[in-house]
Amino acid sequence: MSTEPQREMPIRSEGDIVTTRRTVREVAQRLGFGITDVTRIVTATSELARNIVLYAGAGVIRWRELGKSSRVGVELTLEDNGPGITDIEQAMQEGYTTSGGLGLGLPGTKRLMDEFEIASEVGRGTRVTVRKWRRL
Amino acid sequence: MAEDNIAVIKVRDVLMITMPADPGDATVSALQEKVMATMVQTEAAGVILDISAVETLDSFFARTIAETAQMVALMGGRTVIAGMRPSVAITTTQLGLTLGGAMTALDVDRALDMLNHTHQ
Repeated sequence: MSTEPQREMPIRSEGDIVTTRRTVREVAQRLGFGITDVTRIVTATSELARNIVLYAGAGVIRWRELGKSSRVGVELTLEDNGPGITDIEQAMQEGYTTSGGLGLGLPGTKRLMDEFEIASEVGRGTRVTVRKWRRL
Repeated sequence: MAEDNIAVIKVRDVLMITMPADPGDATVSALQEKVMATMVQTEAAGVILDISAVETLDSFFARTIAETAQMVALMGGRTVIAGMRPSVAITTTQLGLTLGGAMTALDVDRALDMLNHTHQ
């Protein structure tokens, strides 16, 4: 099985968070994820998409289906050219927030997904990549 | 998209709200204001928030629910969150969310029972 090409969609407003959730739900369902994993993937997407709207104003989500002989999965990348994160370690801590929120978005998202990668540069932007695998 | 399309219905002395499957942030925020305004207008004693259709409960939605329950409590009312799906309960817990002081019930029927017992 080969890896599918990447697709993308802009995130520019609060309304786009809903559209992003719907799109990712369809992708996850098509890949055969169970209802709880679909909910985990969509909820993680919602947290990351809201971070983009909240901190950067606009960004993009890219997704692709991952195929290996023993398993299939989904990879989501959410990227923006916003202010970036000064201290990633701090941002990954439970309860830490600079927006008056709950500070659960990043650490919570990491728990919901199987793989989580974050790269950020102050003044340049932030990129978060998450993956979820479905056991066959 | 209509942002303020959620009906707040008063049944006896309880406000009943049914959330749509995938509400946007604006809808969730509008809900909070509508509940508070209707609490005053109708002198309701409790609020039941039916989330049985809700497929995604993220941190913004959960925080708004917890805040609303707290506001209702300050006005002397009780809030029951009814009908959370198992998949949503699992995800919400793993995300680390709580619903603050809101009570929870398996369905609206049991939520009504809870509020009735509270007032007796």
